[in-house]
Amino acid sequence: MNIAATPLIILIATAALALVPALVGPVRFRRDAPPALALLGLAAAGVMSVLLWGDRRATFYEAFRVDRLTVLLTLVFVVSGILTVLLSLREPAGVDRRPEYYCLLLCAVAGMTLVAGAADLIGMFLGIEILSVALYVLCALEVWRERSLESGLKYLIVGAVGSALLLYGLTFLFGVTGTTSLADIALRVDARDLGGESLLLGAMVLIIAGLGFKAGAAPFHMWAPDVYEGAPTPITTFMATAVKAAALAAFLRIFGAALIDVIDDWKTPIAVIAALAIVVGNVGGLMQSSFKRLLAYSSIAQAGYLLIGVATGTLDGATAVLFYIIAYTAMTVGAFAVMVIREREVEDGQSIAALAGLGRSNPIVAAVATICLLSLAGFPPLAGFIGKFMLFGAAADADLVWLAVVGAVGSVISLGYYLRPIYAMWAEDSRPEHARSLDPGAPVLFVVLMSGLGVLAMTGGAHWVTEVCRAAAESLIAP
Amino acid sequence: MGISLMYYLLVSGGLFALGLLGVLIRRNPLLLLLSVELMLNGANVALIGFSRHWNSTDGQVFALVVMVVAAAEVVIGLGLIVAVFRQRIALDVDGMDHLKG
Repeated sequence: MNIAATPLIILIATAALALVPALVGPVRFRRDAPPALALLGLAAAGVMSVLLWGDRRATFYEAFRVDRLTVLLTLVFVVSGILTVLLSLREPAGVDRRPEYYCLLLCAVAGMTLVAGAADLIGMFLGIEILSVALYVLCALEVWRERSLESGLKYLIVGAVGSALLLYGLTFLFGVTGTTSLADIALRVDARDLGGESLLLGAMVLIIAGLGFKAGAAPFHMWAPDVYEGAPTPITTFMATAVKAAALAAFLRIFGAALIDVIDDWKTPIAVIAALAIVVGNVGGLMQSSFKRLLAYSSIAQAGYLLIGVATGTLDGATAVLFYIIAYTAMTVGAFAVMVIREREVEDGQSIAALAGLGRSNPIVAAVATICLLSLAGFPPLAGFIGKFMLFGAAADADLVWLAVVGAVGSVISLGYYLRPIYAMWAEDSRPEHARSLDPGAPVLFVVLMSGLGVLAMTGGAHWVTEVCRAAAESLIAP
Repeated sequence: MGISLMYYLLVSGGLFALGLLGVLIRRNPLLLLLSVELMLNGANVALIGFSRHWNSTDGQVFALVVMVVAAAEVVIGLGLIVAVFRQRIALDVDGMDHLKG
């Protein structure tokens, strides 16, 4: 048997297995088994994919390829999944709907892995749909809460439209090349052996729009703040990190590899979308009073920064995208984990006001939040700054100086809203009406510490991480 | 010889455009789901057409996968709509304005 598919099989098998404890055994077992199984499955899948680091292996009739890029992204998804499980342990959705919650989470991670390793249009579409459908349900899983339902339904409708646009684009891509294999598409495009140039243009526009919806990049971002706000916070964390990474993986696989020879046709559209996302995200973030919505707008802007690297179409650009995905995951999980803590400790924990006085009452958590937010803003010398520096540098090398300028200006604007929660934490006094003091629990504190350490490790070890990212980016175009 | 590719693409484009129009102007989530289904099936028609044109079965396999995916999406969508209905929220996406900043 081919071992390339083992991480995928482990994830799917654990997802199915996580449903079983609901049927048998004592109450304690029923309560603790699903999250434990989920953690085990994610860890096992992560270990297996590390073992697969190396030259390309293919499986499922060449529809799924495991190269260094797949391994690196699978690790991002798995780590994001593990942190989400730890954040979920005391969430109402995680407690009330244990089995299906963890089953769907594992399914979503499996879908993302399928996207990251897609070597075929069918596999890519299937992966995107598996992760989307699982997340529609996860958003709405707190069915007793109107906002959660509303968030799930909105995500479903917008996501389905995005999927339909993407599918029509993939259909045209199949139509002009006559093959669904991404490697063969690259050959046909290189040889200009196409059924129609204008159809290819249409295909690219539709694919960019469809994936733009999934990544939450402007002008396809309208759903993001509402859905992020209504969904359970751990799920929002997962959406903001892993889903974004999966959409970027699809961008890299299609545009960075299969369509690289027609870069002149897609460079400008993707660059424009990146610039729009940066402007819309950063300006929208300025007007928010809710910390959760602020982070939602921040994630729109971050999708823009990541798309800069895709638009360059170079090896440096892809390396920078991967580096920034890893750094972005660490800092975003940290920021959301602090919000999970405040949600449990005080009323109205999603607002910026709820952060007031955190610096005095819990200096360690406040310090991690500060590091993560400054890193998101691109404050030197933190990991976010290094990542942005690499992205803007790659853009300048690829004749996209204007895009680098937009990105840099956007980063400066973004300081305007990233500094507000920091100011609230350190300079304002806590308000007595906020007091509720529920113990947030050790797992959440662990997540906060891990993400803080992650950002610092990425800052200090940027050189080694870049090496790994470069190796992964090289495998993107390797035969 | 069978029907030329152009007719497949015309029908497919028509279905897709109709679906997109429906998504843009309808407000009832049930009809929105219906419109999205039209878009997906428009793509399916094109897939079958291209599959015949290239004389390969890949497009047909793709279309089968899309049908399964579309079914899954509708199941989730109807489930959510029923859940919303039980919460007695009006079935009108313009009325869904709890989430606004």
